[in-house]
Amino acid sequence: METGLVVLWGTLVGLDLVTGPQVMIARPLVAGTVAGAILGDPVAGVTVGMLLELFALEVVPVGGSRYADYGPAAVAAAWVAVDAPLGLALGPAALVGLVVARAGEESMQFIRRRNDSRVQANRSALDRGDAGTLVRLQLIGIGADAVRAAALTLLGLGLAALARDVIPWSARSAAVLGMLLVAIGAGTASAAALRVAGHGAAARWLIAGAALGFVVAGFV
Amino acid sequence: MRTWVSLFTIQGAWNHERMLGVGTGVASLPLLRGLKKHRGTEAHRAALARASSYFNAHPYLAGMAVAAEARAELDGRPAKQIERLRCALGSPLGSLGDRLVWAGWLPASVGMALITFGLTGHWLAAVVFLVVYNVVHLGLRAWAFRAGWVLGLQVGEALKGPRLRRAVQVAPAVAAVLLGIGLPLAAVRLGHRLVPAAAGDAVGPWAAMFVVAAVTLLVLRRLMPTIGGLRLALVVATLVVIGEAVWP
Repeated sequence: METGLVVLWGTLVGLDLVTGPQVMIARPLVAGTVAGAILGDPVAGVTVGMLLELFALEVVPVGGSRYADYGPAAVAAAWVAVDAPLGLALGPAALVGLVVARAGEESMQFIRRRNDSRVQANRSALDRGDAGTLVRLQLIGIGADAVRAAALTLLGLGLAALARDVIPWSARSAAVLGMLLVAIGAGTASAAALRVAGHGAAARWLIAGAALGFVVAGFV
Repeated sequence: MRTWVSLFTIQGAWNHERMLGVGTGVASLPLLRGLKKHRGTEAHRAALARASSYFNAHPYLAGMAVAAEARAELDGRPAKQIERLRCALGSPLGSLGDRLVWAGWLPASVGMALITFGLTGHWLAAVVFLVVYNVVHLGLRAWAFRAGWVLGLQVGEALKGPRLRRAVQVAPAVAAVLLGIGLPLAAVRLGHRLVPAAAGDAVGPWAAMFVVAAVTLLVLRRLMPTIGGLRLALVVATLVVIGEAVWP
């Protein structure tokens, strides 16, 4: 039951990335939190989701650019982290998430190439304004993306099972992996924030905000 | 209403040849139904062919073009004018959406979630993000569709409003300050879940993490977008896994 719900959720968040409705349940923060809640541990879900969110900040989903799929990735990562000591599970969970996100990037390119082929094959019907062809292409495109998202989620859950039950992580390597990925994630998110801010007034706001953030973090 | 709902899957058949074209054609179907009744099947087919030709814009704002074109078709405007409108709207709607949403409201909403997570460590951060982001997202979609439907060929006027220009100017600064506050808070919260497992409350792991984050930032500033954080992290993680296998 739980596994079915997690696969369904992974499919929905995979669809949300591009096909729709783009309400941002595809963001790893949301995808991971809900997956964690389904599995009975929302705190583990939000923690791995937030770590992957640091990486997802570098994605700007403009036009035909390539980007990783962090939704099913966060679902798989949450599967690794639930009901485990977070300090030791966070690194392996994030690693699974990053691998799945990268696989999602390739799968998205595959779907786009398939859409290209179908549109080229139906070019004359589209140019004639054939409503049936339009609707068919749209439904096939959505269906294909749903299959992609479900397959990606299943792949992720397979990798999660490997990372959780098969690979014998030592406490040291799991903790070091986690710390490295948090640090690289923080660096990645900072680079993304600098890109958003540019060189003008927004950059000064970013620096002021970061100073305040460090001060508050010291108290928290 | 059916058009507005179908606009949520406008990228369902996204492809390099027509980009959003198939999606805009499908979304136009309910709006153009009246055309078939009043001006015949041929006029309807011609309008549908125009509505499904190449089009690229931000997905949240594409509804403005869909509605404006359908209005112009129903008003019996010449085909050339409608094609020019479609051609003229793509770039401004793409640029506006990219600056307002992808480089503005989305990172700002993530920033609020980072702050919430950093302060509380609670799953509420995800709820804050979803609600805050979608209030603006859904409002933007509704405004764009309505403006296109009401203004038709004059829809360009909607893009010249002072409030919209101000929002585009302010959005990156809002995103920057929220990300600036949220990033250290969230990173420290995540670190607190790891450092005790590694080495108690010692300063060393924190210093090491800070150095790795700073080096990552410097490397990515030089290499982005050729190499992003994802690839860098995968390389480093692979090295850790290999190191563990070689020196257990």
